[in-house]
Amino acid sequence: MVEFKRYILDNGLTLIVHPDPYTPIATFNLLYNVGSKHENPERTGFAHLFEHLMFEGSVNIPSYDTPLQRAGGENNAFTSNDITNYYLTLPVENLETAFWLESDRMLGLKLTEEKIRVQKNVVIEEYNQRYRNQPYGDAMMLLRSMAYKKHPYQWSTIGKDISHIEQATREEVKEFFYHHYAPNNAFLTVVGDLDPEEVRQMADRWFGIIPRRELAEKSIPKEPPQQEPRTKSVTRDVPHNVLYKAYHMCDRNHPDFYASDLLSDLLANGNSARLYQNLVKKKQVFSSIDAYITGDVDEGLLMITGTLARRMGMEEAEKELLEELDRLKKAPVSEEELQKVKNKVIAVKTYTRTSALHKAMNMAYYELLGDAGQINTEDEKYQRVTPKDIQRVSRQILDPSNCSTLYYSAKNQ
Amino acid sequence: MESIDRTQQPEIQTIQDINITRAHQFNLSNGLPVYSIESGTEEIVKVDLLIRAGSWFQPKPLVAAATGEMLTEGSIHYTSEEIAGQLDYYGAFLKSTADKDIATLSLLTLKKYLRESLAILADVLKNPSFPEKELSTYLSNKKQHFLLEHSRVNTLSRVKFNEALFGSHHPYGKITKEEDHDQITAEDLRQFHRAFYTTGRSELLLTGHIDEWVHQSVEEFLGEDDWQKEGAEKKTPDFRPFTTTDTEVFTPKEEALQSALRMGKILFNKRHPDFPGMQVVNTILGGYFGSRLMKKIREEKGYTYGIYSMMVPMVNEGYLSIASEVGSDVCRQAIEDIYQEISKLRNEKVGQQELSMVKNYMMGQLLRAFDGPLPTASTWFSLLEMGLQDDYYKRMVYTINNITAGDVQELANKYLDEQTLIRSVAGKCQ
Repeated sequence: MVEFKRYILDNGLTLIVHPDPYTPIATFNLLYNVGSKHENPERTGFAHLFEHLMFEGSVNIPSYDTPLQRAGGENNAFTSNDITNYYLTLPVENLETAFWLESDRMLGLKLTEEKIRVQKNVVIEEYNQRYRNQPYGDAMMLLRSMAYKKHPYQWSTIGKDISHIEQATREEVKEFFYHHYAPNNAFLTVVGDLDPEEVRQMADRWFGIIPRRELAEKSIPKEPPQQEPRTKSVTRDVPHNVLYKAYHMCDRNHPDFYASDLLSDLLANGNSARLYQNLVKKKQVFSSIDAYITGDVDEGLLMITGTLARRMGMEEAEKELLEELDRLKKAPVSEEELQKVKNKVIAVKTYTRTSALHKAMNMAYYELLGDAGQINTEDEKYQRVTPKDIQRVSRQILDPSNCSTLYYSAKNQ
Repeated sequence: MESIDRTQQPEIQTIQDINITRAHQFNLSNGLPVYSIESGTEEIVKVDLLIRAGSWFQPKPLVAAATGEMLTEGSIHYTSEEIAGQLDYYGAFLKSTADKDIATLSLLTLKKYLRESLAILADVLKNPSFPEKELSTYLSNKKQHFLLEHSRVNTLSRVKFNEALFGSHHPYGKITKEEDHDQITAEDLRQFHRAFYTTGRSELLLTGHIDEWVHQSVEEFLGEDDWQKEGAEKKTPDFRPFTTTDTEVFTPKEEALQSALRMGKILFNKRHPDFPGMQVVNTILGGYFGSRLMKKIREEKGYTYGIYSMMVPMVNEGYLSIASEVGSDVCRQAIEDIYQEISKLRNEKVGQQELSMVKNYMMGQLLRAFDGPLPTASTWFSLLEMGLQDDYYKRMVYTINNITAGDVQELANKYLDEQTLIRSVAGKCQ
């Protein structure tokens, strides 16, 4: 059991404290309910650019990193389609520095034209390094724009077009801040050898004076059900042919989420999983294959990515893959096979709980979904999934008219 | 509410010492040394078996890696599929790998399945069968993965850098080729396994929820017999590095948007008395997010998404490596800026504020290195690999507490003369 205390400050900030007496480190995780799905379609990539700008100095503190490092601390952040998450760890004695730093940048930033210019460059280099100068770096972007026609998951966190970043102005950046960065749009978790009441006082002391802010309208268009198979072929200078399939699935709070997650595990989690054993080891259709769910807050995707074995054609590889998927739809899995993937999910959750940082991140995310206490109840939800559930979600999800297929071919094959 | 001054950092405490998680050391009946560490409250056990069977010892390319990675692909008792199926059922992770110096069998399991998963570990360790069919699938997939990796500028720059540092005949410098994947036979692996996967070349690290029952289980599965009777102690082959006389090796890749850089030189590993001091120098230069290189190349110029430098410890050598991927149009300028930062380290004393910040940051890192069972396991593993004990961290703490700006400058002058650095560039860099 992960014990915790929840407090809601007057300004709407949610604070979760989990006392963990076994670590000399305090972990501080601040999740803002803003991701790339909240962006203006003409200004994509903003949430992520903003994550960079958050490190460029706030109203009272010219440098974020220097005082944190002086306190023996370390930090990082990530942006997803749903959230922007900032986390730091430091010796527990110095926790107050974390409150000081994070409350000041929630209060306001001090952005100069020069700082914005440099961080735009850094983001453009990040775009080059991770998406353009990497084999298959654009595959996920292509798939998103195929699978989503209305919902903003159609673009990646880096943005739809890097010109959106190039053109960002200081005014737009400021506006984005006040519409999304607010105590009433944030979830804070603190883990360490701490008294929750003292942490609450610290939170009041540092975050208490930040007023509630009026948030941007958050009506996000719902993606209409896909009615027909979608396909796309590209040829690039890459070493191998790769086949991608993206299927729509339910949202994170839907009861079928757990069955859908286990479905992807049956396909490809671990070397005993179906796709690996049958298509990589026995038939050698693929040299590697993976299946996973994106796990987004809104309706997400179940993704399958297979690198074709040499001299294997796309058509034949796809046929073999679809046959494997059909087996799941036709007959229920055995209790034993299902228990295997459940055991693995639960074991991984146990391993993850050895890390205070992972506990802190997961609790903030669960609180965003509705209840941090879900960290203690998820195992049970996985255990309740039956072979019939798997068959039912397989039929729903793995339907050709629910699928976007990307044929990514190597120029020299 | 009391008023607070937001312009002042709250009072901080300097960490003077760290609680190094100690290991209890004993031997199994067959002589295998065990280092056993209680850490954390979750009922998990991490078992790391370290075997001196890396590519340093291999008779031809890829044999060490293939032997290590093929262990779980079949034993005389179980097929590859059965091994994978059992491990997945227990939710256990068993990874067998080999790098330049050592091979590792690493098991992470729930304590309640320790005996079941240890039985598999012991079986694949002592009785691997290296089935022909599995080997051929493994090699053809590995070749594909190799081709993918070598289409990245980052990989190209790294392998060429290592070759330039150590020479093409040295195990740390030798470059694997595509055709090497076609020369390996199951018999190569069997021979290598017989010769090197022996009790006398191995050490065992246990971390997590450890008690007498865990020790007894380990004794039962790994301690009762000598695994390989024929494996008489092998003489360690001797290799000397042969560094190139060129300042730069360049690997062209047309249409590269970014060029990958590596710069550095051979220095030494953790056993050298100056290693802790050079860790401090390296941290200032490029070892953390607030480093001088990161400030200059990323935060001031915006040339890159990231730049890092590292003191890379190998068992028989050690080297400094500065790595980044930078825009191809600013590649030359970035190289010049890196040299400037190094020369600044040699010519000017580091300021007290910066030095004390780096010291505090490094102490925080040491705390993190022993925070929980998994970080503790990997920290201890890297000690055992080097043949070191936890007194290494006492020396590290002593150095961090006592090193002066003068010491830093002296070390930089002793080891970081720009004339002695070599670099590898892959991509398009005018």
